[in-house]
Amino acid sequence: MKKIIPLKDIHVPVPGPDEVYSFKILNEIFYFEGLKKLLGAADISKAGDRTTDLAPKNAMDREAARAILASLTLQYLYDNPLTADDGSVDSVMRAGYEIDLELFQSIAHMTMGDLKDHLLASNGTRVAAIGLALTPVMASALTKLMDVHELVYLPGKIFRPTKARTLIGTPKTLSFRLQPNHPKDNLDAISMMVYNDLAMGMGDCLIGVNPSDGSVDNIAAMLWHIDKLRRETGAPTQICVLGHIKSQLTALKQGAPVEILFQSFAGTDETLTGEFDVTVEFLDQAVETMKNEGPLKDIADQFMYFETGQGSEMTYRKHNGMDMATCEALCYGLCRRYDPFMVNNATGFIGPETHLNDFELMVSTLQDHFMGKLLGLPMGISPSYTLHSNSHLEGQQMAVQLATAAGANFFMDIYLGTDRMLAHFVNSGHDDQTLREIYHRNPAPEFLQWAVQKGIYIQHTDGNVERGPNWGNPRLFIKSDLEFQRLHEATPNAPGFENAGPRPAHKVQEVIRINQSVGREAVHSHLKPELFTGFTFREFVSTAIDHAEHLKNPEVGSKLSKTDLDSLSAEGNDVQIIITDGLSAEAVHHNVPDMIPVLMDGLKSRHYSLGEPIVTHFGRVKLAECISDVLDCNVAILLAGERPGGDALSSKSMSAYLVLKLKDEKARKAAAIYSEHEKIRYEYTLITNIYQGGLPPIEGGSVVAEKVMEILENQAAGNRLEDLLKAQKSV
Amino acid sequence: MENSQNIKEQVKMIGMDFGSTTSSAMIAVAGVGMNSATGRMAFSAPEIVYRSNVEFTPFKGAEIDASAIAELLDTWLEKGDNIFSGGVIITGLAALQQNSVHIAALIKERIGQAVIATVDDPNLESWLAFMGCAALLSRHFKNETLVNLDIGGGTTNPAAGQNGQVKTTGCFYIGARHFHFEPGTYRLINISEYGYSMLNHIGVTNEIGDTLCAGTLNKILDLYIEALKAIARGSLAFFESDIGQRLCQTSFILPPNVDSPLITFSGGVGELIYKITENEPIPSTTFYGDLGIDLAKRIISDPFFSKQITTIRPENMGRATVYGLTLHNTEISGATLFLPDTSALPLNDVPIVARLSMSCDLSDLLNSISVVAQRSGKACIQMLPVTDSEGGALPASLQQIKTLGDRINQALATLTIDLPLVILVPGNFGKALGNYATDWGKSSAKLMIIDEIPDRNAQFVNIGSPYRGVVPVSFYGIY
Repeated sequence: MKKIIPLKDIHVPVPGPDEVYSFKILNEIFYFEGLKKLLGAADISKAGDRTTDLAPKNAMDREAARAILASLTLQYLYDNPLTADDGSVDSVMRAGYEIDLELFQSIAHMTMGDLKDHLLASNGTRVAAIGLALTPVMASALTKLMDVHELVYLPGKIFRPTKARTLIGTPKTLSFRLQPNHPKDNLDAISMMVYNDLAMGMGDCLIGVNPSDGSVDNIAAMLWHIDKLRRETGAPTQICVLGHIKSQLTALKQGAPVEILFQSFAGTDETLTGEFDVTVEFLDQAVETMKNEGPLKDIADQFMYFETGQGSEMTYRKHNGMDMATCEALCYGLCRRYDPFMVNNATGFIGPETHLNDFELMVSTLQDHFMGKLLGLPMGISPSYTLHSNSHLEGQQMAVQLATAAGANFFMDIYLGTDRMLAHFVNSGHDDQTLREIYHRNPAPEFLQWAVQKGIYIQHTDGNVERGPNWGNPRLFIKSDLEFQRLHEATPNAPGFENAGPRPAHKVQEVIRINQSVGREAVHSHLKPELFTGFTFREFVSTAIDHAEHLKNPEVGSKLSKTDLDSLSAEGNDVQIIITDGLSAEAVHHNVPDMIPVLMDGLKSRHYSLGEPIVTHFGRVKLAECISDVLDCNVAILLAGERPGGDALSSKSMSAYLVLKLKDEKARKAAAIYSEHEKIRYEYTLITNIYQGGLPPIEGGSVVAEKVMEILENQAAGNRLEDLLKAQKSV
Repeated sequence: MENSQNIKEQVKMIGMDFGSTTSSAMIAVAGVGMNSATGRMAFSAPEIVYRSNVEFTPFKGAEIDASAIAELLDTWLEKGDNIFSGGVIITGLAALQQNSVHIAALIKERIGQAVIATVDDPNLESWLAFMGCAALLSRHFKNETLVNLDIGGGTTNPAAGQNGQVKTTGCFYIGARHFHFEPGTYRLINISEYGYSMLNHIGVTNEIGDTLCAGTLNKILDLYIEALKAIARGSLAFFESDIGQRLCQTSFILPPNVDSPLITFSGGVGELIYKITENEPIPSTTFYGDLGIDLAKRIISDPFFSKQITTIRPENMGRATVYGLTLHNTEISGATLFLPDTSALPLNDVPIVARLSMSCDLSDLLNSISVVAQRSGKACIQMLPVTDSEGGALPASLQQIKTLGDRINQALATLTIDLPLVILVPGNFGKALGNYATDWGKSSAKLMIIDEIPDRNAQFVNIGSPYRGVVPVSFYGIY
C-alpha cells in the first residue's frame, strides 16, 4: 500500500519570473507571456478557456504554442512550477511533484516532442513507468501535442488495475459504477434501479448514490440500504454514498458501511479548500482512517474514489490563470498521492460554461483519460451532457466509444441514462453492455462468476461471454408482482424494461428521447412576447448579446442592457412584475397567460400601485435587483423558467421570485440581524414548481398574490417573513 | 420560503375493524407530499408500524363487552398518539345500535375526532378491501379486470377494479359464521337467518344442537362455491333465483366484456386460503367455530379458483379492510386551500347535499346553498369537473373558475348560513376560487374551499383538522 509522504518533504524548485515565448509561422510571429498562457493556447479552443482568455486565438496561434511546447525539455517544465495568484506553489502543485525522480533524471533531457515520440514507440510497461516520473504539467503539455488517434492509442497500452471486493482495470475487462440517483433519495426507486442494472451485469466497480440530502443520518441510512441490496443479491461489489467526505467519515465513525470513501477534487488549492472544504492535510488523515478503520481494510488494496472534470476551477474563477486541462492534470497529481480505487472524470457535467458542444466534450474526455492513466490513475470516464449545452446524446455516445477504445477502466451506469437528480445524461446499462460486446470486454472476474451463476451471462468453454437468459430482467431479483409494481411506481421516468439485444426496446427509447426533446426545446426556445395577450407590457433585453451567451454566462442575464436601463427612472410603485425566460422560455409561455390575470386581479383588489409589467429577453434571477434599483419598487415579482431535466412535464416548470427591496430602514435592520449580513438590501421568497403537474398557474397566481400581500404588509420576505407569520398566528 | 408543495413530514394513521367474529387494528406512518407522477398531494411510502393480533370481538351475549373493548383499544393505541387520519368500521353484530355507539364513544375518548366510526357500510367495506389488498396488483395487471372477494364471517364483499381503480362493488350474505359450531366439532350452536335459508334451499332441516353430517356440509359448501363463482363471473342468473335474491344485500355487476377476471381473496377466509397454500400451519377444522377453514379448503380445491390462488398474491391477505381503512379511507386535500378560518374544523358527518358541475348556473348553486342553509350550514357541495365527449375530466379554465367564483359570491350575498359553506373541488384551484368568491378576502361570507378532492359518490364526508396546510377528507355512505 502506498505510503503518504509529508507535503513538506516533496521538493519543488523555486518558481522564477514568467518568460515570453515566441514562434514564427511564415511572416507572423506569435508571442506567449508565461507558461500558463502557452499551455492554454496549445489546446483546442474550449468555452471555459475562452471565458478566461486562455484559449488559442486561431489555428496558427495554437500551432505556434504547440511548437514551442514541443521544444521545451522535461527539465525546463520541472524547474518552472506554475504558481497560485499570490506567486506561491500551492499544496496541489506540490503534491504533483511526488514522482519517480530516478527515472525522471534519465529522461529529463528530452523535449516534450521527443517524449511523445518515445512513448508512442515504447511498450506499455515503459509508458506506465514513465507516467510515474512525470509531473502533472508535463502531462498537460503532452496532451496538447497529441491528436485523437494518439489520445486513444497511447493510454490503451497502460493498465492501472485496482482492487476492493472486485479487481477492476485489468486487460479485457470493462467495469461500471451504478449511479441510481433520485431527487428525493427514494429508497424504493434506488432499489428498482439497482436491481435492474445489476441484472444487466453492471455495477462491478461500485454501487454509488449521490444523495440529495447530504446529512450524516441520510448518508448512513442510504449506505445501509445499498448494503442490504448488495447482500441480498450477492453481487460482489462495493458501495458508496457520495456525500461530503466529512459527513461520510462521521457516518463511518457511527458504524455505517463506508466501504469506499468519496471526494470531489480540484486542481488549485484555492478551489479545493474554498469550494470543496477540504485540505491536503485533511485528506491525508482521511485516507489513513480508511486504511485502518474502513470495512474493507482486510481485503481491499485501495479505498478512495475521486471525481474530477475540466472546468470547476474556472467556474469558481479560482483557476490561478491556468487553462482547464492543466488544472485537471494538477488535480490528477493530487489523486495520485492517495492511490485511489477509482477516479471518475465527469467532463461535461457543468454545462456550456466549460464545454460548449460535442466536439469540445469529446476532446476533453480523451485528454482527461490520457492524462489520468499516464499519471498512474485507475481512470473512469463519464462524458455527460446537459440540455442547456449544445451537446447531445450522439456526441456523448461518440465520446464513450472513443474512451472505451482508449481503455477506460469504467463508466457510469444509470437506468436509461437519465440522472433523475442531477438533470444530466450519462451512460445507461444498455450502452454499457453494447460497449462490452463491441470491444469484447468482460466484467471484473469475481462479478462475472456471480453473473454467470445468476444466468445474467453465459461463459463458454473457450472463455467467450455472452448475454444469458436473465440478462436485463429485473424480475431476477424481484420475485413478487406486488413488489415489482411498488418499486416501479416509485421510479420516475421509467417507461419500461423491455430490451432488444443489448439495447432498450425502441418504444422505451422513444419515450426517453421525446422527454429529452421537450426539455431541450424548452431551454433553447426563445421568449415569444406575442403570446402574452390581455395585458400590456414593456419589452427589454439583458446584457447578453444572444441566447447562447445567456445560457453559458449567468452574469450577463443579471443586468438590463444599457439602452433599456437608461430608458427607466424611479417609479416608486408597490409592485413590479418581471417576466423573463430564465432557463426555459417554454415554461414561461406555458404558465404566464393563465397566471398574470389572476395575479393582477389579486394585487388590484388591494389597490397596490403596479408598474406596467416588464418582459425581458435572456434574463436571470438577479435581474430583479437591477430593475428594482432603478424603478425603486417595493416588491418585484420575477417569473422565470427552471432548468429542465429528463421529465417532459417538468420542463414546463416556472418559478416566482418575490424580491423585497428593504426600503424601510427598520425592516432592513431586522433583516440584517436575521441574516447576519450587515449590508443586506433585498430579501427573497421563492415559489417553485409552477406548472400543470405541480402548482397550476391559476392557483399559482392566487398563491403569489397572497404572498405578496403578506410581504408588503410585513415588509419582510423569505424565512424572516414565515417566522413573523408564525409568531402572529401563535398570538 | 419553504415551498408548501414539498412537505416531508410524516403523519400517523390508524385503521380499526370491529366485526361479528373478530376485530383488529393497524397503525401506519406515511409522508404527505406531492406525488411526482400525478402532481396531487398524497400519502407516500407508507410503513406499517403496528399490526394488532386478530382478536375475537368481545361480547357479553348480544351486547358488546365495553370494558374488554376498552382494554383492547388501550393495547392498540399504545403507539397511537398524534393520529392524523384513519377510520373505524363496525359491522355485523358489533354494529347493532347500542354496540356501535359504545365503541364509537370509547374511541372518541381516546383519540378524539381524528378518526370516524362508520357503521355497516357494505360497499365502503368492499371498496376498502380492494384498495387494501388488490389496488397495487391491479395496477400491475393494468389491462385486466380484477375481482377481490372479501369473505368474512357474515358477508362476502366483492369489488371489481381496473388499473387500481374500483369500478363496482357489492355485498352478499355469504360468510363463514352463518353456521356457528362448538369449536372442534360440527355441533350447531347457532344458525343465522341466512343459514336457515340455505338449509331450506338444499332441502335439509337441521336445528341448533344437531351435528351436521358430511353430506349436508358438502351441500352447503357447494352452495357457497356456486354463489362465489356467480359473483366472480358476474353471472346474474344465480342471483335471480330465490336463494340468490335472499343472499344479496347489494348487487354486483361486473363491467361489460369481462369474461375471466383475475381473482383475489381477503377477509378471514381469504387469509386462510393463502396460509394453506403457503403451507403455513392452520388450526384444525371448526377451530373458530364456523365454516371458515372448510370454505377456504373448498375454494382452493375448486378448479375455477385454484389456478389463480397460486399465481396471484394480493397484499395484506385477510387484513385488507383494516389496511384499506388505515391508508385509503382518507383523501388528502391540496396544499393551497381557501381556509380563512380553520377553527370550524374538524367537521364530521357532513352530508354532501349536491354534486354540481363546474359549469353550473347561478340557480343550481342557489338551490344547493339554500339546502345547506336549511341544515344550519352543516352540509357541503361537491363540484364535478366538466368532461369531454368521452367522459374524461377536463381541467378547469380560468374563465370557469372566475365565473363560478362570482356566482358563489352572489349566492352567499343573498343567503345567510351559520357555519362556513364547504365546497369540495376536484382540481388544484382552491385558493383561486375562494379568492374570486370573496373578492380576495374582502367579503365577510364564510367559505371553505377544499381542493384536490375527487368525487367518491358518497353520502357523507368528514373533514379533519388542518396539518401543515392540508386536511384529511374521508367519505362514507358510498352508493
